[in-house]
Amino acid sequence: MSNRSGKAYALTTLCPIRNGHEGNMSFDKITRHRIQLLEEDSGSPFARIPNTYFARLFILNDVFFEQGNDVHHDHLKSKYLVFTSNFHGDLKPYLKGMWDNANDTVRSIWEHAVAFDKVRNSDDFIAYIRKCQLTTSLFFNGSTDDELRFQLKSLYIKQAFSEFVLAHQNKSTSELRTAFNEFMQQMQSDNLNDVSWIPGQTRLSHLY
Amino acid sequence: MNRPLDLYDIQGNICKGYGRFGFPKARYFFLEFHDSGFAREFIGKLLPLITTAETWPAEGLAGKPRSTTNIAFTYEGLKALGLPQRSLDGFPQEFKMGMKPRAAILGDDGPSAPEHWDPVWQGDRVHAWVSVNGQAKEFVEQRFSEVESLINQSHGGVSIRPGHRGPDGNLLAWQDASAVYENGKPTPKEHFGYTDGIGNPYFEGCGNNPQRLAGRGKLTKEGKWAPLATGEFILGHVDEAKEYPLAPEPHLLARNGTYMVYRKLHENVQSFNDYIDNLARDFDGSRDMLMAKLSGRWPDNGAPLTLAANDAEKAELDARMGQLKAKADDGDACAAGQLQALQARWIDFTYEQDKDGARCPVGAHIRRANTRASLETTKEAFNSPSALDDRRRLLRRGLPYGGEHGAATDESEQGIIFMCLGASLERQFEFVQQQWMNYSNDFKLGNDRDALIGANNGQLTDKHIVQADPQGDKAPFFCTHLPRLVETRGGDYFFIPSITALDMMAQGIVDPT
Repeated sequence: MSNRSGKAYALTTLCPIRNGHEGNMSFDKITRHRIQLLEEDSGSPFARIPNTYFARLFILNDVFFEQGNDVHHDHLKSKYLVFTSNFHGDLKPYLKGMWDNANDTVRSIWEHAVAFDKVRNSDDFIAYIRKCQLTTSLFFNGSTDDELRFQLKSLYIKQAFSEFVLAHQNKSTSELRTAFNEFMQQMQSDNLNDVSWIPGQTRLSHLY
Repeated sequence: MNRPLDLYDIQGNICKGYGRFGFPKARYFFLEFHDSGFAREFIGKLLPLITTAETWPAEGLAGKPRSTTNIAFTYEGLKALGLPQRSLDGFPQEFKMGMKPRAAILGDDGPSAPEHWDPVWQGDRVHAWVSVNGQAKEFVEQRFSEVESLINQSHGGVSIRPGHRGPDGNLLAWQDASAVYENGKPTPKEHFGYTDGIGNPYFEGCGNNPQRLAGRGKLTKEGKWAPLATGEFILGHVDEAKEYPLAPEPHLLARNGTYMVYRKLHENVQSFNDYIDNLARDFDGSRDMLMAKLSGRWPDNGAPLTLAANDAEKAELDARMGQLKAKADDGDACAAGQLQALQARWIDFTYEQDKDGARCPVGAHIRRANTRASLETTKEAFNSPSALDDRRRLLRRGLPYGGEHGAATDESEQGIIFMCLGASLERQFEFVQQQWMNYSNDFKLGNDRDALIGANNGQLTDKHIVQADPQGDKAPFFCTHLPRLVETRGGDYFFIPSITALDMMAQGIVDPT
């Protein structure tokens, strides 16, 4: 089992949440509430963390296993904040990017995790996450291991090209060549920062 | 082996498409119950008129009634009849909800949204569906009068719920339906001009001629056709998962009954003709061939594209048919046999030799509705090649409506009364409608919707792809800007009880304990 597949990294972390409460809300409930308030798609804080392919947060309660009549129920000593992320590159720079770009979110979501009050800077955060890390090979199937902006550009061009095909059916060779040259210029295929999807975007407004 | 079913206990429309048996005319009307006692009494009086699934000869009219009558109930209707709560609780969720709240699943949005449906469907007051089919219109009207007089004798316990939009925008108390006539003869056509209703499933015990099995059953590991399990279509029998379908209690209430989808599907004939005419100008082939590439069958005679994939092959097929027919008419028994064998291929085919869709496009209507073992993309991936299709088969019933009043436009009243039967509305009809008609992930066609009945909206990417032969030098053809060709104008989910269950309901002795 490996956390790496080519240049893609699959991070799985289980961070115990402190038992206890604030008012009538237990810490795990406060944490869940904060997760549920996070924005989605391009507004998601994970869209700000460089090279994130896919990330997910959830709270793990007790663990159930059921297969036919074989039923097991493991009662856990604490609830766990589970954070999984698939990204491009190495773990350390990724976690530094997370700390630097989504700092408020990280502090708010992990606030009640055991020993997180000792985390003061990105080095502490990296050390903390590595302590909570599991070795898995849980990769998101919808992604290659390329740099995110390269993948986003590919998706953009793929969608734009299919629209180009639909819009230019049955054109003469010369018309098609002219239109395609224009299309390629419009695509700016070497420019990975613009004329592309933005992180977290899921669909393109029509070109034609 | 065909296990015998109690065909006298099963309503006739479950096992037979009446249209095929010489009943080209129909009237559908909907009842509202105002008093459970009088409504039950009405059902008791109607019972002797109900047509069962007894076997009829396929040809000729001898041994058949002049008209048929069948009845089915909505969940609200069963409640209004006073069925015990415990029996009601046993019905599946989608049946309890009815069709309107399932609009998002069914693609009933925009012009198909329930707020635009015919007035009969507004509110939850449709309690029962009654259908009368007839060999001629006069026999339909006769039988209708008989049922109407039973309604009139019900002391106000039962009424016909009016509100079907008619030809002049007027509202009618019933929905008439009729085969489309050409030269005074009923045809299997619908109003876009396609030959319709060809490939209905064959299930164990259905009482149909075993010669009809090939192409209609399921495909076994050995590549042979076998009847589908009865429980896919009739409750109280084992289904393809070797289980009894979910059904309400008591057992006798559900056994030999089934569920039915009723949908009034308006056809925008003008939009269809304009779209095809316009697209045909860019298409490398005839208008008929383009139509065939949308549906999977040639419009004139329903020949599948697997048999004739382009104009040249179609001309060859027609010529061959013509020759065989002429010889057969002259008494050549060998030619008659060859003709029959050729005609069997209208139904008996798969897409095994056409995985890329170069003959029948992967997204063509008939390839979506009945995938014919084409979802097993890796050989022997499943228990049998059609394992993914066998639980999604639809028994299709119904007839076209409208279209009698001159040139059809989008505004004139014409379309199809679509009815489809099965033991699970959710697993069969709803799945096919949602995943195969209005989505294409299973076919690797992204978000494409069915060209004919999909919820398309005329956008560039509302498209249908006519695949080309990957070995050839032709480009695929893209049918873009697909408009909404078919709009839902109403419908609901119904339960068709057995004769036994109807009798119990009439007597008020349905007892789940």
